[in-house]
Amino acid sequence: MRPELERLQLIEQQILNTPAALSAEDWTVRLLVDGELAADAETQQQLYHGLRLAGRQQLRQELRQIHAQLYGGWRAWLRRIWPM
Amino acid sequence: MPAPAATALRDALLADREQALTRLYRRAFPLVRRYMGGHGGTDQDAQDVFQDALVVLYEQAVGGTLVLTASASTYLVGIARNLWHHEQRRRARLPHEALPDDADPLAALAAEESDDAIEPTFAVLDYVARLGEKCRNVLLAFYYFQQPLTQIAEANGYRSVRSATVQKFKCLERLRNSVRAAFHSEVLYR
Repeated sequence: MRPELERLQLIEQQILNTPAALSAEDWTVRLLVDGELAADAETQQQLYHGLRLAGRQQLRQELRQIHAQLYGGWRAWLRRIWPM
Repeated sequence: MPAPAATALRDALLADREQALTRLYRRAFPLVRRYMGGHGGTDQDAQDVFQDALVVLYEQAVGGTLVLTASASTYLVGIARNLWHHEQRRRARLPHEALPDDADPLAALAAEESDDAIEPTFAVLDYVARLGEKCRNVLLAFYYFQQPLTQIAEANGYRSVRSATVQKFKCLERLRNSVRAAFHSEVLYR
């Protein structure tokens, strides 16, 4: 991978606390020697929050489609004239 | 460690989300609709609350934090009852305010964030929507739906997990660059 992508991976491992994450001490050292790392990590954290929100929106959309398949059309009509 | 029932549900959701959600919907929604009908809710309320409950269940199941001591349907009814009580209290406090779309997930997210973090999060949401379809699918499949990279590779035609991993980071980089460019120009022209 390109160094830029490896940097994204390094930050991801810390934020998502994957098994490959650095120890707290090693991460602190990296933050000290790399002046832009903290800001990059903060930006990346915002990306993950935005993706989470986007995922929820997509899931809600999928659920609306399932609802329409199960209860839309003639089923909705039937339910209006014969409430269960 | 999640119990076998929760693990089975997680596996089913990851293997075929639409099928697993449809099965849950068919079983549990009538129970929630009946409960809501008896407690002052409309059909639309039942639909909104039930879908919020399914979002909660999905996130817990794939996140490995779900503990099922009863059936998934019973669990969903329990979440829906709590959400509905919460919503009724909210309406009693603010009787003239309509419930916005997706209010509960947004409120839950907002509760986790400081005020400063909310605005960039919504900006990121905008840029996720502008990504190409393939990038958006890969990022959401991995970071939200928590599908394994083997499955993501297969679904998107990548030769290996390694290729899918590289593609995922390229997409993340693209998203980050869009967000950065937007924030940079906003600061310049402020």
